[in-house]
Amino acid sequence: MRKKLIIATMILFGAVFLSACAGGAVRGMSWPGLATDGQTAYLADGSFVYAVNLNDGTELWRYPGSRNGKLTFYSPPAITPDGLVIVGSAGTDHSLVALNPADINPDTNAPVEAWKFSGAKDHWVAAPLVVNNKLFAVNSDGNLYVLDLQDGQSVKDATVVKLGGRLWAQPTTDGERVYVTSLDHSVIAVNAETYEVVWSEDLGGAVPGSAILGADGMLYVGSLASKLEKFDPATGNHQSILDAKNWVWSTPSLDGDTLYVGDVDGNFYSFNTSSGKLNWKPVKPDGPITASPVVQNDHVLLATESGSIFAVGNDGKVLWTQQIGGKIYTTPVAAGDLTIVAPLETDFYLAALDANGRQVWTFTPKN
Amino acid sequence: MWDLFISIFVNVLIWIYDVVGHNFGLAIILFTILIRIVTWPLNAQQMKGAAAMQALQNDKDWQAIQKKYAKDKEKLAQEQMRVYKEKGINPFGSCLPTLIQFPIIIALYQSITRALASTPLDLLRLSRSISLPNVSDLIPLNSKFLWMDLGRPESVAILGFALPTLALVVAITTYIQAKLTMPASTTPGDQSAAMSGMMSIYMPLLLGYFALTFASGLSIYFITSNVLGIIQYAMQGKANWRNLIPGVLKRK
Repeated sequence: MRKKLIIATMILFGAVFLSACAGGAVRGMSWPGLATDGQTAYLADGSFVYAVNLNDGTELWRYPGSRNGKLTFYSPPAITPDGLVIVGSAGTDHSLVALNPADINPDTNAPVEAWKFSGAKDHWVAAPLVVNNKLFAVNSDGNLYVLDLQDGQSVKDATVVKLGGRLWAQPTTDGERVYVTSLDHSVIAVNAETYEVVWSEDLGGAVPGSAILGADGMLYVGSLASKLEKFDPATGNHQSILDAKNWVWSTPSLDGDTLYVGDVDGNFYSFNTSSGKLNWKPVKPDGPITASPVVQNDHVLLATESGSIFAVGNDGKVLWTQQIGGKIYTTPVAAGDLTIVAPLETDFYLAALDANGRQVWTFTPKN
Repeated sequence: MWDLFISIFVNVLIWIYDVVGHNFGLAIILFTILIRIVTWPLNAQQMKGAAAMQALQNDKDWQAIQKKYAKDKEKLAQEQMRVYKEKGINPFGSCLPTLIQFPIIIALYQSITRALASTPLDLLRLSRSISLPNVSDLIPLNSKFLWMDLGRPESVAILGFALPTLALVVAITTYIQAKLTMPASTTPGDQSAAMSGMMSIYMPLLLGYFALTFASGLSIYFITSNVLGIIQYAMQGKANWRNLIPGVLKRK
């Protein structure tokens, strides 16, 4: 009898221990997605998408109204000109939904779904790109889905452009072409009207961040090959302009001809695209950098995995630092005088900082 | 410490993946063979321990003390320990190697999910686990193997129904392995045989459930490990093929 008990306990222990590794629609599966329209912060974090009032950090609504085991959110929401909040699920339900914050269900306090697209085969990591009446949405299944936003349909169909690899970053456009980065090491240009692939270039390392268009008309993108590349958007000709010390995860940020980017070794670079040289010796804050730098008037805000926000002046000097706590992987967003930060592994989900880095409010969802 | 263990698994898996031409399924199979080779002495000890315990069930002295001290559990335990000592048997000799399999299974599951990195956070964590040089051109790993995505549970759509083929193969091979290694018993009420019988039912169900629920890469490990186990028993001439025939429970 005792032996039976030992075996049964062993099996139960194994089952419980292994089951614990399976994860689910919980916070911490990946870092949250964050966006703002200037009035409201939209946070995609685990089982819910939260709308938070920027004035006082209170919750306005959440979607879905109650937890749904098939839905998990961590892709940054996109906001359309007419106020719809579009967000994709990374759960077993791979739908992309448009939420209407102007139409709240009084029973659930959740916004009504304006439309839904269920044609993707894998999870959504990237924010979709809204261009006029079209939505360019990339999915981990390697497809670019182009949706018509004005067809009046509540169940959307999409034009599918097969690109390959896992697509984790929001596309970029100059109006003529849409630029998509892929974990299969490629940067791809797609004609914005015909959806034909114009060019595709291999960078020798996965590209988890977006490309960014410079004032000089060139395209800049970092990669896990630890390089920053400069592209001619018309031809796809490219050259490496910066050797980072480790993976360049984030999308670079531009301020005129100054390009800011960090690496996962915790080095922060300021690069002059005109001279092709670093403006100053890389700044080394207190941890790895996966979030994109946020350009402010006279400084750049930098978030680190160590849970800190650094304000770095144009001359490379650190103006102030603020320890938020937890780990920050998500790119902060600026809204008026506030900067909104979404850390991981903290009790609160959002923190709002003023222009001097002082904490104004935090947001913790109730229940 | 545990994370270091996972990191070692991840690095070995990625190294094999690179060597075999970026095939993660093949990497898991070769890794399982490696694990089997490393744990070969433990498996041999398990078989030896199980055989010794089985032989003990038929030992006249053993049966005598079971009868004699049936109502005195403390004395019975003392006498059993004395017999174990005299005959040089480790009563846990057949259990410990099985217990060691559990951390390996858990570590392998975590290594597979970490190596395949299906979320940004997983990919970032993977970067901290890798100590091999110049692997950025390998990342992300190709999770496709035959018809499977190794990072996800497997099923094959047949007539609109998702059939979990790997889970079935895992359950069947686990059952076959358990049955082949089940010692025959000639003693009524033999505890050891009853325990083996219970294991041959529970383990296929448990591992089948794991295969149904978790990444199919883990199923590849289970199947490879089961097949290797069957081969190992067969090579040592200990496979009891008659147990596979329904109704034949006892070896003549």
